[in-house]
Formats: sequence, structure tokens, C-alpha cells
Amino acid sequence: MSGRVGPVLRMSDDVDAIVAAIEDDNPGQQVTVVDRGAYTRVSGEGELRVTRASIERHLGREFEMRQFEELMSAFAGRIEMTSQEVRWQLGG
Amino acid sequence: MARLPREEWYDIARDVDWDLSYVDYDEVFPEWMSGTGKVPREAWAEWDEPYKVTYPEYVATQREKETGAYSVKAVLRKSRVFDQLDEGWKSVAKQHFGAVALVEDLAAYAELRMARFGLAPAWRNMAVFGALDETRHAQISLYFPHELLGRDPQYDWAHKAYHTSQWTVAAARATFDGMMMNPNVVDVAVQLPFTFETGFTNVQFVALAADALESGDINFANMISSIQTDEARHSQQGGPTLKILVEHDPRRAQWVIDKTFWVSARLFSVLTGPAMDYYTPLAMRKQSFKEFMLEWVAGQFADQLQDYGLKKPWYWDEFLAGLDTWHHGLHLGVWYWRPTVWWNPQGGVSPAERDWLREKYPDWEDRFGPIWDVIIGNINAGQAGLTLPATLPWLCSLCQLPVGTAGSPGNQRYPVRSYPLSYDGRTYHFCSRPCRQIWWEDRDTLHSPTVVDRVLAGEVQPPTVEGLLTWMGLTPEVRGTDAYGYRWARAYPPGDPGPAGDAGPAGDAGPAVTEPSNGGRPVPVNALFAGDFVTQLVTLQDTDTVDQAASRIAAQVVGRRVRSREAGLVVRLGGRVLPGELTVAAAGIGPLDSVDVSWDAGRVGER
Repeated sequence: MSGRVGPVLRMSDDVDAIVAAIEDDNPGQQVTVVDRGAYTRVSGEGELRVTRASIERHLGREFEMRQFEELMSAFAGRIEMTSQEVRWQLGG
Repeated sequence: MARLPREEWYDIARDVDWDLSYVDYDEVFPEWMSGTGKVPREAWAEWDEPYKVTYPEYVATQREKETGAYSVKAVLRKSRVFDQLDEGWKSVAKQHFGAVALVEDLAAYAELRMARFGLAPAWRNMAVFGALDETRHAQISLYFPHELLGRDPQYDWAHKAYHTSQWTVAAARATFDGMMMNPNVVDVAVQLPFTFETGFTNVQFVALAADALESGDINFANMISSIQTDEARHSQQGGPTLKILVEHDPRRAQWVIDKTFWVSARLFSVLTGPAMDYYTPLAMRKQSFKEFMLEWVAGQFADQLQDYGLKKPWYWDEFLAGLDTWHHGLHLGVWYWRPTVWWNPQGGVSPAERDWLREKYPDWEDRFGPIWDVIIGNINAGQAGLTLPATLPWLCSLCQLPVGTAGSPGNQRYPVRSYPLSYDGRTYHFCSRPCRQIWWEDRDTLHSPTVVDRVLAGEVQPPTVEGLLTWMGLTPEVRGTDAYGYRWARAYPPGDPGPAGDAGPAGDAGPAVTEPSNGGRPVPVNALFAGDFVTQLVTLQDTDTVDQAASRIAAQVVGRRVRSREAGLVVRLGGRVLPGELTVAAAGIGPLDSVDVSWDAGRVGER
């Protein structure tokens, strides 16, 4: 069992900002980014989260958490989504 | 007025339900549809979706997704992008549209069944979004290819495929009916959203998008990855259902996942495997099919199973071993039987492509190289006719894919063979032990005859290859041809590989698939010639000698996929060698038997 969790982002202008936000929101976590062109796999060990506040800071504009769905074509782990953050985890 | 955050009202709104007083609960949620089984009814109240969305949010998000997908399409329509796409790549898209568009429509019905019969209001709510999603997917998957109709009639099969009984469609229909339409909704939720949508669709919709973008098909990459953003949400109906089921009936949960995983893996080996490892131009391949499957299915999905307290399926090692062989055999089959498909398969075995295959799959050369050498030799000797079918591969009674393709030539552990089963007075053939076992457990709910079954039942008239193509709806202008017009084969130096020799004494055995040319009573058998990659339907006559029967079988293989040799033939039935001079009837060969033919070094020159 690899235990790695996190989103798979589809190609868009916002990928870099989302990755930066995830890195901000998971201090101490080794965040791995694999870029395969049409998709970018972002993963961490066991648990990863991203907040609306961090995304807005990196995008430089307002962002509703529901819009995260437009960017994410898959994910690893169990997901939990609120209006302020998304969390992926295993063994929860 | 300030709006309440969603978290503060969502659960109450979502859980609104009513107590039935005018009708019985069991009438509204009958067991055969709702399928609670050993799970107490009240347990479903705990159903809690992890991926929450409200209706206004749903509508806003979907609108934005659609705007994105269609605006890219509108821009590209004015460009020359399509004209510059590789012919091999175009076949990936053609195959996808035909195989997928109306399955999306079927999935809308599966979601609607959960929206009506799901045992928790939260689940029913989420399934409504799922049904709207799938309707969008069917529409977009029909609309995108529609504008290409004027350029290429094969795109017509985006809509037509599921209105036919073409053999891959028949296979997919059997699989998806078993996943979406036949079972109760608890099983649907574990099979479709959990196993299929979080396990497999990612490989076709996300991983393949990587190859699509690299190949320059921006429209296709954009469309499929947009579709998958919906799947990422509505597939989350699987988890909460599974969690409750595991708690009360873990055996059922494990079984439903195991069987769905197996048939899905078989189906993706014909859908996605050839697309990634043969049709996608070499320079554009991001990873091999095996590498994508290890990333998305073996790794990510296996983690998920463990997370829910379940085990890997009992056949896990066989599945992993199959990642090295299944799709190569299926590609060979689709290519050899190319008039039976609505896309143009790219042979994909040029010297450079072959080097890539050997690097990614170290056993590829030993397993499949000799067969491709015979094919290449025939093409370069001007005998392309010998690379076209004169009969049918036998199709597995469960996955409906050619028997033999769950193994490979020269493979001791998983050889090319049938796994037969006698039941209710007839013999059924399977590609593998897991297919046979799943069929046995589910036999009372499986009602999808294979194309071979239909031929044997006399539904295909005349019973010839041409008759079969017409019966499958393949009009002449859409029948598959080699995508590159054999350019890949001509890249080999002249004489290397050499011609394969005679096509055997009955090389003109004729196009009849089920009717022998004269006399005797027909005895259709499932025939394997040693060294071939599939077993085939060959019709013997009961008055044939065993030697004549051997020749009929050899004629479908020798000089076509197995090199000719100066040797006699030996016929085995159930491992027993049959005397050559006996008649088929006297030797005990009956309809639907497995008959094996191989070279007999002791009978040199008798052919």
C-alpha cells in the first residue's frame, strides 16, 4: 500500500497556483508533483489539504470552493469537501 | 442578507425524508431493486457523502465546465488541427466515441435507478446529480464526433455502435448491463461508482488525455478530462455505500468488487490497451498501458480497497501478470479481425515500435514476435489476404473477448487455452478461471449470448465472414483497415522476416464459418492450433477423418499466424491423441468440444 493521497488536476492556467496553495497548506509534508501534460498528480503521504484562503492568495482573485471540481479530474484517497477546504486522506 | 455557510444547513436539507403511511415500505423500495440484503434498513441513515454539493453550486459549476469544453471546440473548429492528426490516433478517438458515448447514456439510467431506489435521501440526492452528469457525458460524446461525420463515416459509429451486436459492443453491453442495469442499487453503487469509476475510468479519461494532448488532439483531451471532473464527484456514492455494506456483509462487498474488477480489467485491455501501446504515435506516448494501469488501478485502487478493510481480489497475481499480455493479444486480435471494427487499427509493430514494446514488455518478443513475423512476411510478400480472417475467434461466455487472450503463446503459467464448463447440457468456454468462476456464481442472471453463440444458433445468415459483417452492421465504408496502409510493416528490410510458407492444404477452405462444404453433419468445435494466440470456431464434418479435421483447423492458422513446417499434425481431445484415420464421429469429437492441433515431429512430410 503506497498510502499516497491528493488531487489529480486537469490542464488549466490555475495548476501552478493550486500546487503552491497545497504546498502552503501542508507544512512539513513532502508534496510530490508529477506533470503528465494533460494532468498533474499532486500527492502527499496519508493526508493532504488545501484551503480556499490559500487558493485565493495564489490566484489573486476570489475563488469558491465548488470551483475546485472544475480543476480536479480524479484524486487518490478519501475526500472531504467543505466551503472552506478540501481534504484527502487514507486510514481516516 | 448574509448567507449561511453550506455546512450549517446542508445536512438538514439533504436528510429530508418522509415516513410512508399509505403504502408499504417494501412496495416503494422492493428488495430486488433496493437490495439491502443483510444490512438493517436503519443502517442506511448513516449514509454520508464525502463530496458535498448543493443544487445551485452544481448548476453553476456545470455551466462553467460546459462553457470551457465547448469554447475550446469552437475555436478548434476553425483550425486545421483535425487534418493534422495521426491516422492511428484518430482511431483512438473513433473507438472511444463508439464504445463510450451510449454507455454514458446507460449510466444515466443506472444513476436514476439509484436516485429512485437508493435507501438514503442523501444518496438519492447525489444520484440525481450523477444522472445529470451522465446525460451531459452522452450529449458531449455524441456532439463532438458529429461534426466530423462529413469527413469520415466511421464517426457515425459514435451513435450507431450500441444499436448493433458488433462483437466488442456485445462484450461491452454484457459487462455494463451486469454492472448498471441488472443488479440492485446497492450492488450498482459498489460496482459502478466505486469499482469502475474510481478504478478504471481514470485510465481512459485522465491517463489517455495525456496521450491525446501529446498527439495534438486538444479537443479530445479537453472533453474527456472535463467529463472526468464529474466522475470524481459522483463516483463518491460508492464509498459511503461500501462502508455500510462492509460493516454488515463484507463477503458480499468483496465479491461484488472482485467480479466487477475482473470484467472491467478484461474490457479495458481491449479498449485502452491497444490505444495506448499501438495506436498512439510512438513519439507521443506518455507511458505504457501497463505503467498507467499500475499508477491508476493497481496502486491507487488497491490502496482504496485496503482503506475500506477489504482484500485484493483472489486473482490479483493473475491480473498483474495479464498487464504484460492481455492487451497485446487483444490488439493482435482486433488488428487481424480489423474488418469487424469501426476504426482503423494501427498495426504498430514497425522496428522502432517493436523496440519500444520489447523495452516496456520484456516477454513481448517471445510471446507475440513470431506471430507478427508471419504477418509482416505475408504483407511484404504481397499476401495481405492471409492477414484477414476467414473464421471467428471463440468468445468467452463471460467477458465475450477471444478465448486465448487471457494468456499468451509460450506462456507456461497462463497458456492459450479454453477453460470449459459443462452446464445444463452444453459446453461453455471461458478465457480464464476467474471468468468461469464469475459466470458460475452469476449464471442465473446472465443472458447475453456471444456473437459465436448467435452464429451457432443460426442467427447470422449466410454464416460467412461477409454475412457476419453485414449482420454486425458494418457497412463496407466503415470496416476497419490498417491505419497506415501497412507502412509500418514495409519498414522491415526485404526478406526479413521471410514468407511464412504455404497457407496449408485447405487454405481455400472458404468463407463459410459454420457450414462444411459438403456431406456429413456439421460439428462446430473450439479449435486451438499450437503457437496461435486465440482459439477459433472451426466447423468439422462428422464424416471427416481426424486428419482432415486437422487440416481444416490448420488452414485457419498455418501460414497466417504460425509458420508452416515440414511435419504432420496430431489432434488431441481432452489431452488424448486421436488416431488420424478415425472419423470425427468415431473419434468422439462432438459439437462445442475443445480440439487441440499441434505439429507431430514423428509424421514428417505427411501434409
